[in-house]
Amino acid sequence: MPIEPEIKSLSYGRRKGFFLVLVVVFILALPAFIFYTSGYRLNFDNEETSIVTTGGVYITTDNLGVDVYLDEEKIEKPRLFRSAYYIQNIENGLHRLVVQGEGLQTWVKVLPVDSYIVTEAAAFNMPELPHIRPIASRLNLSGQGVYVVAGSTSTPLFTKATTTGNFVVVNRATPASLRVNSEYEYTVDLFATTTATSTSVFNRLEEEIEKLSTVPASTTATASISYIEQGNMRLVPRGEELSARWIGDGSATPHYFCAPAQASSTIAFRLGMHVMLQLEEQRLSTTTPLHTENNRLCRTEIRLDRKWQKIKYYEFFPQSSDLVVLRLEDGLYVTEIDDRAWQNTQLIYPGDKFEVRVTDTNIYIKEDGMYFELLTEIPEIN
Amino acid sequence: MEEQDKSHLLPYARRADFKVGRATELSGRDRRLYRLLEIIPGALSWTILVGMIMASIYAPFFAAYFIIAFSIYWVLKTIFLSYHVRYNWKRLKHHMKIDWQVLVRRFNYEHFYHLIIFPYYPEPYEVLEEAVKGLLNAKYDHKKMIVVLAAEERAGAEAIGYAKRIEENYGHHFGHFLVTTHPANTPGELAGKGSNTHHALGVVQREVVAKYNIPHKDIITSIFDVDTVIYPDYFNCLLWHFLTVADPYKSAFQPVPLFNNNLWEAPALSRVMAMSSTFWQMIMQERPEKSATFSSHSVSYQALYEIGYGQANVVSEDSRIYWNLLVANDGKFDVVPLSYPISMDATIAPTLWGTIKNIYKQHRRWTYGVENWCYITYHFIKNKKIPLKRRLSIIALQGEGYSSLVTNPILLFILGWAPIFLGTREFHETVLSYELPIMVRNLLIIAMGGLVVSAIISLSLTPPRPEKYPRFKYLVMVVQWIMVPITMIVFSALPGLDAQTRLMLGKYMGFWVTPKRVNVK
Repeated sequence: MPIEPEIKSLSYGRRKGFFLVLVVVFILALPAFIFYTSGYRLNFDNEETSIVTTGGVYITTDNLGVDVYLDEEKIEKPRLFRSAYYIQNIENGLHRLVVQGEGLQTWVKVLPVDSYIVTEAAAFNMPELPHIRPIASRLNLSGQGVYVVAGSTSTPLFTKATTTGNFVVVNRATPASLRVNSEYEYTVDLFATTTATSTSVFNRLEEEIEKLSTVPASTTATASISYIEQGNMRLVPRGEELSARWIGDGSATPHYFCAPAQASSTIAFRLGMHVMLQLEEQRLSTTTPLHTENNRLCRTEIRLDRKWQKIKYYEFFPQSSDLVVLRLEDGLYVTEIDDRAWQNTQLIYPGDKFEVRVTDTNIYIKEDGMYFELLTEIPEIN
Repeated sequence: MEEQDKSHLLPYARRADFKVGRATELSGRDRRLYRLLEIIPGALSWTILVGMIMASIYAPFFAAYFIIAFSIYWVLKTIFLSYHVRYNWKRLKHHMKIDWQVLVRRFNYEHFYHLIIFPYYPEPYEVLEEAVKGLLNAKYDHKKMIVVLAAEERAGAEAIGYAKRIEENYGHHFGHFLVTTHPANTPGELAGKGSNTHHALGVVQREVVAKYNIPHKDIITSIFDVDTVIYPDYFNCLLWHFLTVADPYKSAFQPVPLFNNNLWEAPALSRVMAMSSTFWQMIMQERPEKSATFSSHSVSYQALYEIGYGQANVVSEDSRIYWNLLVANDGKFDVVPLSYPISMDATIAPTLWGTIKNIYKQHRRWTYGVENWCYITYHFIKNKKIPLKRRLSIIALQGEGYSSLVTNPILLFILGWAPIFLGTREFHETVLSYELPIMVRNLLIIAMGGLVVSAIISLSLTPPRPEKYPRFKYLVMVVQWIMVPITMIVFSALPGLDAQTRLMLGKYMGFWVTPKRVNVK
């Protein structure tokens, strides 16, 4: 007997049945998937299964070698991107975020998480011990910096920091064997110039007073005052205080300038009393008025934490408009503008007898006649 | 030239607008109607794509929900279609094991002729020879075969000379062997396979059918692309289906085109596209009420005679001939799936870039089949004898097919991310905004599971490995399927959108001949 052909195509009834099954799957799956992606979760914690609403936290970090903790629990999930974590399934309320790493200062913040909403934060972790790269005036033939000292060569230099990059200390050196370090000359020039960025908060204040006391006969007078700006963020001195002001489009105001339009007590509880007070203060202000974005109250300015010290110098942290470098009385600090709960302020170089300059990419320090770059990331050791 | 005597045609096929190719061939209200129909597919596709962008900007929550729904739909569609492919694959394998000659002998079949037409443009001699040799390998009486090599005058004397050489070398094996030459620049025609076939059928009618008084009903016509190499039992399989189907003269017979003649020589990109096309035809084999003829296919000579041999003024002639038959027969014409393979060439070129260009152009030509939607909708409006349900069903199914071909890959792999980049700030702060890409990614990964089925089936349909290729290439043939998201966009959606846009703007396409290159043994 020859094999008989299976002439029938897949029967219409069978196809229709399968199709209807898939339609039912679609109808059931669609709301489930939409609810899930919107933040709804099934809660099995109690005896009765219930549906809860959740939010999330999106946190960026500058360092890849850090661990992120939420309410003391380490986040094991992989990063969304190389430098960002997305933490989901977080219940409504205040949550403590900790970002820490070996040899790095710890960043801590308590943030409110709302249902359906993702709370954003940017963590930063400066080295616990300062790491510097000496910039000598002369280089030997191997490219090492050469420091000529009068006394013993065994007396250590740069005692406050861990140095990176080779250098040698000698009593004397043959000039012919050395060459000029062009970076040193650049750095000397940097410190020789009193630029807008190196103006102390007091000089800046004088300019502000002058601006306010002068009749604005011409715009040139006001235009002559130069501010320190990074993107749409401006640093504005007010008395002994220093504030960060958002000068960009209101709709693009950074999230940490804003608070949900809630009762003052709620804002104080969720974001801190200082936030609530600043909101109240700016509500009445004509120079720094509040504005509303997406049902949230947004401040124009945020006061920076100066740790009750005088600010001797300030500048944006290189390539950041969220962090500010502050030269205070006892050292050099980096502080975040984000003041929800509090501002994390990290000491990056201690002392009171050094000068500092910040360029677009680097932080330079001059101390005891020597120049060096202050590194804000721990260099990888090969 | 269109035949003047229309007495042998079906009543509807006698209409002046029966063989309309484009709006410009009509006048008055009909012209406006046809032009509107030409605009609709492209306008719809552009509206969907632009609408998605606008929704992402102004209604990102709606756009996000739509994308979730669409991703779920895509997963379920993949499952649904994979089920069809798998079923047809089993049927195909089964049919390839059958000795169809034994089955055909149960019937009185000796009086049937197979008319095989190979329309070609300038093709290498070897391509023509391979095609004719394939016929000689067929397990069917060669004296009952009428073979036509249909050359194009514009291809030049050399190309026509090849056909003459083939006739000298192999013509005597067959009952009848004709070399026809389609005149260049015939008014009212679109140069291409359709007009060439149309001309060849006219010549066959004069020089064979009428001359030898062969009954029309005793001829089964197979119109093959010139790279078609048949499996030995193809004509028996075809005849068995012809003899057993309810109404053979109201049926077109569709084999499964395997683009595997040169599969080992083809680059991965070409293999994926070739197999994807095969899979689509396998799916259609299991849904015959939704399909039309494609590429190489067969139909009774009587049916072709009753419609005046199809159209000489269209690009997508292989499908148009079915729609001609359906419309002329007042909806009483069906596609009968053979679930039996024929072999054709995967598109290749000497360079990878050349291959990419050729695949794109080939698929643009195929997707220009959207011109058929205008044709059927136009005639479904005119021919009220076709049941309304069938008319609406075909218009909707074909329309959805052409629209989804263009929009689905772009929505899924590109615009699916649009709300994340274009959405409002309010949207960006929500869990939905963060979960959307994760959810879509996971659903697409699940959908990619369908590719595992594809990889397994494609391996089973791959010809034996030539000695010169390492076994490692089997692994490449599995891994190549990860390119599907790219090929769907570059070789389905974009050429489809290109074709629909041209039709929408009235910049009508001509017939582009896919260069054939076979592995000459």
